[in-house]
Amino acid sequence: MTSSRAIELAALQQELARAGYIAEPPLAAALLLMQDLQRPLLLEGDAGVGKTEVAKVLATIRRTRLIRLQCYEGLDAHAAMYEWNYQRQLLAIKLLEHDERGLQQKEQDIFSERYLLKRPLLEAITAEVAPVLLIDEIDRADEAFEAYLLELLSDFQMSIPELGTVLATQRPWVVITSNGTRELSDALRRRCLYQYIDYPDYEKELAIVRKKAPEVALALAQQIVAFVQGVRGMELQKRPGIAETLDWTAALLRLGVSTLDADGAEQIIDTLSALIKTRDDRAAFPREVVARLAAAC
Amino acid sequence: MNPLSAIEARAAERLAGFPTFLRANGFAVGGGDAVQVLRTAERVGVLDADVLRLSLQALLCGRADEWRRFPALFDAWFLPANRWQRPARRETERASSGAQPGSGGSADGAEDATPDPARPRLAASRDAVSGSADFRTLTEREHTIDIEALVRRFARQLQPIRIRRQALSCRGRRLDLPATIRRSIGSGGIPFELAWRDHRRVRPRLVLLIDVSRSMALYSFFYLRLARALALARTDVHSFIFHTGLTAVSQALHDPDPWRAQERLHWIAQGFAGGTRIGECLAQFNREHASRLVHSRTAVVVMSDGYDTGEPRQLSQALAQLKRRARRIVWLNPLAQQPGYAPLSQGMQAALPQLDLLAPGADLASLRAVLPRLLDALH
Repeated sequence: MTSSRAIELAALQQELARAGYIAEPPLAAALLLMQDLQRPLLLEGDAGVGKTEVAKVLATIRRTRLIRLQCYEGLDAHAAMYEWNYQRQLLAIKLLEHDERGLQQKEQDIFSERYLLKRPLLEAITAEVAPVLLIDEIDRADEAFEAYLLELLSDFQMSIPELGTVLATQRPWVVITSNGTRELSDALRRRCLYQYIDYPDYEKELAIVRKKAPEVALALAQQIVAFVQGVRGMELQKRPGIAETLDWTAALLRLGVSTLDADGAEQIIDTLSALIKTRDDRAAFPREVVARLAAAC
Repeated sequence: MNPLSAIEARAAERLAGFPTFLRANGFAVGGGDAVQVLRTAERVGVLDADVLRLSLQALLCGRADEWRRFPALFDAWFLPANRWQRPARRETERASSGAQPGSGGSADGAEDATPDPARPRLAASRDAVSGSADFRTLTEREHTIDIEALVRRFARQLQPIRIRRQALSCRGRRLDLPATIRRSIGSGGIPFELAWRDHRRVRPRLVLLIDVSRSMALYSFFYLRLARALALARTDVHSFIFHTGLTAVSQALHDPDPWRAQERLHWIAQGFAGGTRIGECLAQFNREHASRLVHSRTAVVVMSDGYDTGEPRQLSQALAQLKRRARRIVWLNPLAQQPGYAPLSQGMQAALPQLDLLAPGADLASLRAVLPRLLDALH
């Protein structure tokens, strides 16, 4: 039986595919639910599985802006929310010294929106059309910032002492990503829809390569994906993500490789730097291993 | 009441009971979630099981392991009994064939019928665990108070590390212009109160690797209690137990509810008091967890007697690899306090060159004595 929701789901998947993102049903279902419940979406998974890409493609299909807040250690509320442009304010005070207007008015002028530097969070809640707010790698920010973010995510309002409370005109689509370098608080997890994104399987990765690099012949694309899947099955410190697969595909194209086999191992080794990113992992790929993997695809 | 609304009422009841069932299975869901579940079901419809499952999965899961367990639990709650028992039994068979020692999450609770529908489906494996240990002492009252006191002292004295990034502080070397001006508003624009910036200081992250093999049987509970007290006092603590394999126990061990902590440890306790392969376990840690957990401000504390049945070379290799990532590696050895102890066992010999500190610590008194050296080494 096909319910109306299942049809909607398939339609969204197709739309995402047109925008260049191959989404599996769980992700499409979560994106639909995000719209219904107006909740943020928390994406977890290893680096390079396409978490950030979800926000970008969401902005594309909703035809709206993407506002990105890259989290880092020591990110504080000012860098994320708003800041007064003090240098300009100081200048303005000097200029206003010989102004005829009353004190009240001058003050109002100095603390007006002209001197307000909007940072991503304020920008997102004051936007006319609901934007996609991407809070990237939240696990890198401190716990204090996470707690602060909770407040924003529950009410979508922010108070600026000099201006008053700013209420969101439109609730932004919030996408939060995490690489799991730190355990997130339960409170944050409770407020979000959750989605774990794993490394893609053979079919999905093939579809992605075909989509992103349409100039690659089908046979080569199949070999590339089989090779990468083989690499991922090995014990590595850093397993290659989808971005690495695409980089490697581009590198092979550049070298004019048309087929992967044991004879072409030299060329594969030359391009492995696009796929393997640590020294220890590189040591795990001597010529014989590469040849064997290539022969298997 | 017409028949249709009676069916609807039953469906609503079933849906509303689902969060409770998940909670009993260790999910972090609250009472308010029933409303969200009903609202979601109203939106997506209940006739298409796949769509409903995907939607509720996004709604009710909060972390990766919940995400993986969800489909089975969904089937268990919503599908008629004979439709979900079969895959559950297959899982049991796989588990009993010995493929995965240490993962107690087999769903062998399916066979025996019980009157309570919200009973955790995973907890029933408790009786089947032959090598499991008695976790009741984990939260015994009197001992816990002493340990907590020690841990509090430790947490207080653990020096924060200075990092490059700066933040507002009460004294420092650089003036913070925006904050100074902000403060000067109260005094009419004259900066009476200055604001400073200085390097931020953060406490090191602690990763505890606890040996629970047979030779450690006397001490491992003490260390587990220590880990639990540490996690309650500080936020950034990650615990693992190892014997022949490595298991993450942070979530179970750090559960603030002592009863639930016991219950959850039972599930993962298989393989307790068996042999040890330290090198292999550390290599597994490097492979699966180190890239995520260990950074330049991480102190790794290994608690083990160093009796290793594996390759000594593997142990020293794994430790060397870990040392490249971590700030400090400390080894607490319960045997080291015996008079005349020398780290002569093969495992200790292999490990010694890589360690920042090898300290004794079998009970509270010895740990208290070694605390200053420990704090010194961690800083």
